[in-house]
Amino acid sequence: MTAERHHRQRILAEVGEEGQRRLARASVAIVGVGGLGSPVALYLAAAGVGRLGLIDDQRVEASNLNRQVAYEECDIGRAKVEAAAGRLLLLDPALRVDARQENVRASNVAELFSEYDLVVDGTDAFETKFLLNDAAVLVGKPLVYGAVLQWGGQVTTIVPGGPCLRCLFSEPPDPDSVLTCEQAGIIGAATGVVGSVQAEEALKVLLGVGMLLSGRIFQHDGLRGETRVTVFPKDPDCPACSPRARITDLQRYAEQVSPRGHVLT
Amino acid sequence: MAEASLTAEQRQRYARHLALAEIGPAGQRRLLRSSVLIVGVGALGSPVALYLAAAGVGTIGLADHDHVRLSNLQRQVIHSMAGLNRSKVDGAARTVGALNPDVKVDAIEATVDEHNAMELLQRYDVIVDGTDTFHARYLLSDAAYLLRKPLVHGSIFRIEGQVTVFVPGRGCYRCLYPEPPPAGAIEESEQAGVLATLPGIIGTIQAAETIKQITRAGDPLVNRVLLHDTMAMTFREVRYRRNPACPTCGDRPSITSLADSHAVVGADEGRR
Repeated sequence: MTAERHHRQRILAEVGEEGQRRLARASVAIVGVGGLGSPVALYLAAAGVGRLGLIDDQRVEASNLNRQVAYEECDIGRAKVEAAAGRLLLLDPALRVDARQENVRASNVAELFSEYDLVVDGTDAFETKFLLNDAAVLVGKPLVYGAVLQWGGQVTTIVPGGPCLRCLFSEPPDPDSVLTCEQAGIIGAATGVVGSVQAEEALKVLLGVGMLLSGRIFQHDGLRGETRVTVFPKDPDCPACSPRARITDLQRYAEQVSPRGHVLT
Repeated sequence: MAEASLTAEQRQRYARHLALAEIGPAGQRRLLRSSVLIVGVGALGSPVALYLAAAGVGTIGLADHDHVRLSNLQRQVIHSMAGLNRSKVDGAARTVGALNPDVKVDAIEATVDEHNAMELLQRYDVIVDGTDTFHARYLLSDAAYLLRKPLVHGSIFRIEGQVTVFVPGRGCYRCLYPEPPPAGAIEESEQAGVLATLPGIIGTIQAAETIKQITRAGDPLVNRVLLHDTMAMTFREVRYRRNPACPTCGDRPSITSLADSHAVVGADEGRR
């Protein structure tokens, strides 16, 4: 790490020399390196986070390029994690990147959380988002949740002891009721806004500064140009993070939660 | 019929736009025919250029006189080590071209000033302010108003940023900030810190507002400025109106050319 590269952050009171060293020692897993993961990875690499884990099993497609700005046209057909790792190393050759071409499942999620200081959700399937939430609660690691569709999206940060995604929405939506990004469409800039907010939250968690979006949800409607941050409480009956939680063991996740992330009774 | 003029490759690349009611094939063709000038290819210009290129804006003008320095790579994510010590516009043009060959890039290695601003701005449909000095912001605002072009304004300082859209006749930068701060009141930008992600948030909102200007989708951030505080993680909207006494866009304007603009701004006001 050269002193000059991160000069503008080191002179920021909220970061400083010590904060910059903290970032250099930190590790972040980015699950899903698509519309959200692209800006998250680019900005965390630029900011000086020492090690990034990129987790995604997909390959770059032409229809990704309207929003997934970590890639180039010549990357079409390549594994996303490899292409993204290459791009990040062009930005900072000192970065450590783990390119993991795999999917996150109940069987490997605990190990993933144990290897990194923080996890950023860049996925597009609700069952995976709820799995990451449940794992963050059970393992006790911070998670920056994000979701995006059409012109907008949302972000909240789950920290140990704080409210979780299931305090906000106890169950994932019925898959028949939600439109996929393919059906509904998406504007690249919206993924950029949401992903940049996620990256900002990740930096604040690692630095231990500022007010996090813990118990608050950022909601952005780019079409109307409306951005709001709303407070939400911990649910005393939350199936994941309350004393009455029914999701208690990732090894028994299949018994406790349906394949779609719904809590089984 | 409507999609006939998009190639098969374009229908794939822009599939997620074609699915959006507010864009669709007609909106995509409008994007491909449009032209945007991004003044300043640094912290704000990086995400603006990346996302406008990804969206398929047909012509993107990139104007900047600077070269890429190592300390830029902490937040200027369109650049890379390969472009170090080389011109910012050339490096950014390369990244844009690799992302989307549909985009024609005008690499303008120059400072936009009172001598060239009118000639440069008049070639484009929408102007995006990615500069970091008050002088440049007043100049772009005056020039955009005189040419009756929309200007998508963004600025960042340390841990705070703001974004708004100036549409001719509905207020300009001088309506929002009648006077620059006194010289010395604000640190030189080189001396002020900045968090890497802040320009990402502001620049991507600028990109979205630019796309809305081109496609006429949604409600633009006109007559309202969105203020973001990174540490509090708050977003506040403040409304403003055209100032009838504004020297540029008021009822009896005194700035009718950029020579007047230069006189009003002053040559040595504080940089930001």
